Amino acid sequence: MEYPYHVGWEDWTRLHTDPAKGRGKPEALDDLLVLDLSYGNMGGLFCSSILGELGAEVIRVEPPAGDIAREFSPFGYKHRGVGLAYLVEGRNKYHVTCDLHTEKGRELLKRLARKADILIESFQPGVLDELGIGYRQLAEINPGLIYLAFSTYGQFGPLAGSNKPDYDITNQAMSTLVNMTGEPEWDGPAPYAVPTKVGNWYGWYNPGAWGAFGALSALFFRDAGGRGQLLDISGAEGVAAAMDYDCLWYHAFGMTRERIGSLDNGVFPYTYIRVKDGYAFIAGFSDPNFTGLTNIMNRPDLRGQFPTIVDRLQIENELKIKDEIEKWSINYTAAEILDMVSNYHGVGTVATARVNSPREVMDEDNWYQRGALSLVDDPVYGRILVQQPPWKMTLTPPRIKWLCRPVGYDNEYVYLKHLGLGRSDVAALRREGAV
Amino acid sequence: MSKEDYLAWANEAFDIRRIFDKPEALKGLRVVELCTLILGPAHAVFLAEMGAEVIKVELPGTGDTMRYVSPRGMFWQNQSLGFFSENRNKYHVTIDVRKAEGKELFKKLIARADVFIENLTAGTMDEWGLGYHQLSAINPGLIYIAKNGFGQWGPYAKGRASYDAVAQAQSGIGFITGFPGRPPLKMGIFIGDYFGAIMSAASVMAALHYRKRTGRGQFIDYAQSEGLIRMLDWTWAYQYLTGQDRDRYGNWDVAICPSGIFRCGDGFIAIAAATDAEFAALAKAMDRPGLAEDARFRTLADRLKEENSRELQKILDEWTAGKTQGEIDRLGGEFGFAAAPVYSEADTYRNEHWRARGATWQHEDPVYGDTVEYGPVVKMSETPGRIKWSAKPVGFDNEFVFGTILGLGKEEQAVLKAKGITTKWADRVGAKPPDDWQGEGLIFNRGGEE
Repeated sequence: MEYPYHVGWEDWTRLHTDPAKGRGKPEALDDLLVLDLSYGNMGGLFCSSILGELGAEVIRVEPPAGDIAREFSPFGYKHRGVGLAYLVEGRNKYHVTCDLHTEKGRELLKRLARKADILIESFQPGVLDELGIGYRQLAEINPGLIYLAFSTYGQFGPLAGSNKPDYDITNQAMSTLVNMTGEPEWDGPAPYAVPTKVGNWYGWYNPGAWGAFGALSALFFRDAGGRGQLLDISGAEGVAAAMDYDCLWYHAFGMTRERIGSLDNGVFPYTYIRVKDGYAFIAGFSDPNFTGLTNIMNRPDLRGQFPTIVDRLQIENELKIKDEIEKWSINYTAAEILDMVSNYHGVGTVATARVNSPREVMDEDNWYQRGALSLVDDPVYGRILVQQPPWKMTLTPPRIKWLCRPVGYDNEYVYLKHLGLGRSDVAALRREGAV
Repeated sequence: MSKEDYLAWANEAFDIRRIFDKPEALKGLRVVELCTLILGPAHAVFLAEMGAEVIKVELPGTGDTMRYVSPRGMFWQNQSLGFFSENRNKYHVTIDVRKAEGKELFKKLIARADVFIENLTAGTMDEWGLGYHQLSAINPGLIYIAKNGFGQWGPYAKGRASYDAVAQAQSGIGFITGFPGRPPLKMGIFIGDYFGAIMSAASVMAALHYRKRTGRGQFIDYAQSEGLIRMLDWTWAYQYLTGQDRDRYGNWDVAICPSGIFRCGDGFIAIAAATDAEFAALAKAMDRPGLAEDARFRTLADRLKEENSRELQKILDEWTAGKTQGEIDRLGGEFGFAAAPVYSEADTYRNEHWRARGATWQHEDPVYGDTVEYGPVVKMSETPGRIKWSAKPVGFDNEFVFGTILGLGKEEQAVLKAKGITTKWADRVGAKPPDDWQGEGLIFNRGGEE
């Protein structure tokens, strides 16, 4: 690779990683075939989205009536017949139907699985095995198969047979995330002072990301000469393991996290504060950074009151410090505070940011320049603004090719390409109810 | 095959007592990290759990800032609790990469590495003469990933301090968490860091697959704010297509019905039932099978209509108020809808199911003793992830890494140390070993020093 290095780091990285210029470059995973059998599960769908964005050929296998996830949508809103959650995560996938409750349907799936590198499913443990198309049976016909199973309780352990479907909300709840998120009851009980879920489907997006990482790690092993395997991904465990020190805090000190609103157990000041035009985040928790913050606020006296990190981490002190910050911050807009922070050149570094609503996020030019958000012109669904893959890669940039397809849209293409079935074969299968 | 038969087979196939008898997925992969806090170190630890050899490079003395982040300032055996979970299974070395001899030493490591991870301010490595240009010149197959709040280029990339919560605030996820009419809620967890760590780990594995095919390495830029924007499901399409704004909706999911957190007699519980069969099961468990036939609730599309959705929320609130967590949890399994108690750390810590899965993982560390942490997430039948040891003090493994991997003799190492290039831990909580440490866990130079 040539390095026109005189342009400097920022310009060079922009030149080589701008998504707007990445179309003609190769794709990292374009030798892979992925089957996504997930049902009603945004975790499975996000997992196959990641693989598809990085170049894999992803075939969505849905029952003839379609995935229930196509119905997931705010207030039931549909765009040309599909819910918005699926519209976003149908990206780059071919869509076929296959009724796994028919013998013919299972036969089709087996033939596809023989050629696949990765298979994704989210049925309860043992369901596909009972149908004769679980990991044990498919590994026999394809020992290289990397088989991902998403669930809340996992495929093994005393509660694996719990008979409960996998959902975002149950993954969030079991992980302890809900228990420690939300407003405390310091001012008495209130309908809003309760354990609170995270706003988006983090309980699904988290395991989806774990699944992609796990699948590609298994692929690394297979690339090195190893065989395929079964990967068991519990969303509840995935969320919990992405939560810092909790387990060890309990182990070492018997402490559990309580709800403390937007305060913080480990770093303070590191909190949301009221500002003239809404809310902003502000941080200045190490000694030099607290000095910086109190300088900007023109309140050096606060350093005397709360001299050490440990002083500042006591909840009653956090509340006092937050009050003092808000007495100052309420007089300024978030933008004015950012200006003050940016123009401060004394001791310490202070970080601040406006708590933007999704509408305000959507109005910021930065995300369009970076290609984090952009319009996709989909052949079936038209022009829609969606979030783009987050990685900028010099050699194999990820990309969106299309957004979604209707149920069974690619039956003829996929069954012809992979199984050699002609139009009349597919028509016959359709009459038999297999597709 | 019956379900019982499958579960028995799975219990055998994933038996955690046999983990160390199985191979590791990322064996042979060498990773160097020059990272602080979580976004970078967590990425590296996920690779280390999968079997990669991860060498964590810190500046001499005080090392990674995360060594000083601990809840309520409570340190455990002189180490911050925050540092443990992102730094196990690693080799901990110090190199002052700002000095010429440090740069040379660092380049020797890079020459022998497959992956380099950094999460410094954009362009810092380049200013130090250790940017992608210089490192890829030494090692053209190198996968170099740089991670931070807003990326390596663009309007916010320069001169703006960023933390996880900055990304939360700027991406919209902070705004949509909490109840309508109440303040937005900052998440108590570093969600942008950890999600960013998993996502960037996936991209590095993809780049390694491509390298296997072509021999070519590459540079990756990951911005944690953009990872959170990616994660906000239907938000952007909804706002674009309808002109409506996404609000915060408390504990009620407006896109799946029913799905929410409910107060019951003795705590809180999550319940969800999207499919008609699951909803019928829930209605039956409530002893109100008629709900599934009610025109307002018959299909998911009916239930998602705003007025019906609110009605159903009320009906569920009333029902759960008269039940315990345990009752509803049991009914979920008996009838076939999703239910799970809102667990605290005490619940997950004591949970036998999680223990049996290694989700809570107990091990005896040579330095810190009996330890329980959340284990590797992805459970693998052939190449299971594992925890070998906990995080270590600053520069703990210098002799091992410099001696065996770089082949430096004792005298060369002594010179580097004397010059301050590879000094070990400062005498400071967070950096140093436990007070009663007697040299346990050192691979070379048994007996300790400093």
